[in-house]
Amino acid sequence: MKKQLNLNVNGQDYEVEVEANRLLLQVLRDTLDLTGTKEGCSIGVCGACSVILDGRLVSSCLTLAAGCEGKKIETIEGLAKDGKLHPLQQAFIEYGGFQCGICTPGQIMAAKSLLDENPKPSEEEVKEWMSGNLCRCTGYYKILESVMAVVDGKTDPNYAFRKRETTAKIQSLDVYKSVAKTSSD
Amino acid sequence: MSEELTVIGKPVTRVDAYEKVTGQIVYGYDLTLPNMLYGKALFSPKAHAKIKKIDISKAKALPGVVAVVTGADAPWTHGEAVKDKPFLAHGKVRYIGEPVAAVAAEDEDTAQAAVKLIEVEYEDLPVYIDPEEACKPGCVEIHEDYDGYRKAPFMVRGAAPNINEHFKLRTGDVAKGFAESDLILDEKYYVPIIQHAAMEPHSAHAQWDKESGRLTIWVANDAPFRALHEISEALAMDKEKIRFINPAQGGGFGSKGGLKCEPIAVALAFQTGGRPVRVKFNREETFISTLTRHAATVYCKSGVKKDGTLVAREMTIYWDAGAYAEKSPTVCIRGSLPAPGPYRIPHVKVDGYAVYTNKPVAGSYRGYGIPQGAWAGEQQMDELAIKLGMDPIDIRMKNIFVEGDMSYWGEQLHAVGLKETLIKATEAIEYGKKSPINKPGLKIGKGFACIQKPTRSPTTSNAGVTVNAQGEVTVFAGTVEIGQGCNTILSQVAAEELKVPMDKVIMHQLDTDVIPYDASTTSSRSTYHMGNAVRSASIHAREQIMEAAAPMLEVGVQELALGDGKVFAKDQPQQSLPIGEVVKRKLGINGVVRGEASYTYEIGKDLDLETGHSDHASAFYMYATQAAEVSVDEESGRVRVLRMSAAHDVGKAINPLNCEAQIEGGVVMGIGSAIHEELIIDATGKVRNPSFLDYHLVTSLDCPQLIPIIVECHEPEGPYGAKGLGEPGLAPTPAAIGNAVADAIGIRIYDLPLKPENVFWALQKNKKSAA
Ligand code: FES
Ligand code: FES
Repeated sequence: MKKQLNLNVNGQDYEVEVEANRLLLQVLRDTLDLTGTKEGCSIGVCGACSVILDGRLVSSCLTLAAGCEGKKIETIEGLAKDGKLHPLQQAFIEYGGFQCGICTPGQIMAAKSLLDENPKPSEEEVKEWMSGNLCRCTGYYKILESVMAVVDGKTDPNYAFRKRETTAKIQSLDVYKSVAKTSSD
Repeated sequence: MSEELTVIGKPVTRVDAYEKVTGQIVYGYDLTLPNMLYGKALFSPKAHAKIKKIDISKAKALPGVVAVVTGADAPWTHGEAVKDKPFLAHGKVRYIGEPVAAVAAEDEDTAQAAVKLIEVEYEDLPVYIDPEEACKPGCVEIHEDYDGYRKAPFMVRGAAPNINEHFKLRTGDVAKGFAESDLILDEKYYVPIIQHAAMEPHSAHAQWDKESGRLTIWVANDAPFRALHEISEALAMDKEKIRFINPAQGGGFGSKGGLKCEPIAVALAFQTGGRPVRVKFNREETFISTLTRHAATVYCKSGVKKDGTLVAREMTIYWDAGAYAEKSPTVCIRGSLPAPGPYRIPHVKVDGYAVYTNKPVAGSYRGYGIPQGAWAGEQQMDELAIKLGMDPIDIRMKNIFVEGDMSYWGEQLHAVGLKETLIKATEAIEYGKKSPINKPGLKIGKGFACIQKPTRSPTTSNAGVTVNAQGEVTVFAGTVEIGQGCNTILSQVAAEELKVPMDKVIMHQLDTDVIPYDASTTSSRSTYHMGNAVRSASIHAREQIMEAAAPMLEVGVQELALGDGKVFAKDQPQQSLPIGEVVKRKLGINGVVRGEASYTYEIGKDLDLETGHSDHASAFYMYATQAAEVSVDEESGRVRVLRMSAAHDVGKAINPLNCEAQIEGGVVMGIGSAIHEELIIDATGKVRNPSFLDYHLVTSLDCPQLIPIIVECHEPEGPYGAKGLGEPGLAPTPAAIGNAVADAIGIRIYDLPLKPENVFWALQKNKKSAA
């Protein structure tokens, strides 16, 4: 059975007609052609389909599109404003937080939802929060560095995208901090 | 030219960054073509069975279904080394997950519903799960027609059933070597099946145009020219009729070479009246029906003198090929050959067997057989050292390959940066120094492992580089951007040789109609081979520009130099012309200067099939040492990697940021394979954990402190001295962690993964035997 839906994505209203059982992920990708939101597992584990719904991070592969009416949906496509990248997007470039890039929209949306809520999370909090977003390429280190660069205000204020030399330096995450936790978990 | 390098060696940001962080880039499965149909396959539920009957009538009758195909409509087989794999099953199935039939429909739901309406009757055949069992005398051949298949010339058929390749290495006399040894260790090691689990599942689009006879395939394949060849050979269709276009690739790690969704899409495309078809696998289908990494059982026997000198090493390796040969023969060869490790050993004997089983197909996986050999060999090196009362560093230092050594496969080695990697990696984690942590129930240990890795040889890369009248440079290179950063590296090479800023360089989309041949984006071969080709093509373009500019600037070609996008006279730099202006004056506003080049690494003698010897087995060798510090929770058996250093000899880091990224990604993937990952397949051949819920990937929480270390041991043939890096990142990782775990708990574990229950039981067993 088809259903008429009004969806607000990145501040823009869309009227769509889809099967009642359609997931938000499917509507974004297949109906609205917003393919920046990715599908990695379809069961809510990988985070590739992360979008922000009324300020909350959700897996769009587990979210019925019909339940999103009247809510604000934010996807990766809405992040850069007037040609200016979001600080997280910029940091992911400067600090090399991606390789193949397929998990990147999800990573950035997840990080955004964290920073929207808490602009000064600790390294451990970032690590924990980002654990819902799988990445098979980067080994996470540069993703965490990218997010921390935004937290610590270490991105280049005069940044304009160009192919350029980066300022990235390896910073070391304290090794024994995590050991202290080992025996308790 | 001994001019200073302007962009080579610099950590420039990636050229594909903007498209990726904004979500604009289009991956294979993002692509929607006009008038496209949706394809879905029916997968075999049987591991080994005859197909008695297929009834597609109900599926065909479903409204919205455009085509239903079975093996009868697709009577073709393909395969790189062995032509053994049907597009869709022909009369029998050989693993659970083998595509049997397929449907193209107006939408995905209809296609899926139609697949369910296909009825197949099977008759069971014996199922072989364990490769050592499958090659016992009397076993049924999984490929009864094996001897009739087209095979690569370098292959040696094993004497026993189901062996598709038997690789032999024979150096010295191992019996004599063991007789001369003071200490001999003989152990069995096991590495399970794992999967690439690239975050983008597999997909392919195909379209067949009857009028022109052209077949177009859109797919994120890491070796489009090889795939094109395979399709053309299978269909007996002219290569010119086939076109591959590469959308962006969301990771591959070896899983996206060869043909996976492509044959299904092609079989359907012939039946849709010219409409394009997309075949997209979901995660479960990707798990069961694409590719896995070979499980390996490794028997390793080593003999040493009291002072630690290696005398003999004998290895027998069973590579679990799964149901089709895919890349097993070459994994068997290139994994077995260096398996004894990067050491001077006078007496070596290796037998590698790639064996068919009724399991999902194993193929190339980052590391290409090196991790399996290293898991055995490098743990045994530590055991030998411990038994001799030596430091594991010292025993390696005593035997390790150095510049000019003759390897046990008969090749004289050069550009060997191994020793330096060993020193730097072990220093970085303060190997030998006790950890300050002292917690009851928590054991801390350190370990390391060394590897050598060859690259696929001989191979060819071609490249074109154009400079237009606007001064823009376009690179035509068949290397696939799979996430590794090749587009950035190759742009750097062109920018360097033409002395233009990076933002003037564009990488042309990979399309086999336009791009010249390249062997593949595999084996860490691209920076070296394609780097050389792009470099020469850039120089070729540069020479044409210089020649054209000389009369314009009224100086001799020898007096000219390039810099900052301009040609200028060396002694009068103000006398200059932008390179675009030179092109314009020479060829007009739409003029283009085109540089072309081809690079082939020629091997000397072919591999000797009886001894495994070759005087040039590989264009170059990559060397690495990784060192790990781990904690083991004695109560739960949980292993955590606390920090890990990885020192890699890359020849020359064209882009250090990218090198670090490759190393980090490789190491963390290696940690997954060491501690978490295992594709569990039961006795009926069914994959029990085909989802990310049950197949555990490393998350940010498991990510230790990483210390990537770049070692540069100049490779004279490589561009600017570069070798390669992508594959070895995870090769020594499990062995290094295994050695660290043994150091922590005093018990050696021979089977991967080091998951809590395995470690827990090893601890229990030890307690019991102590009591
Ligand atoms: S696709 Fe939604 S979490 Fe993986
Ligand atoms: S960048 Fe490829 S999966 Fe994260």
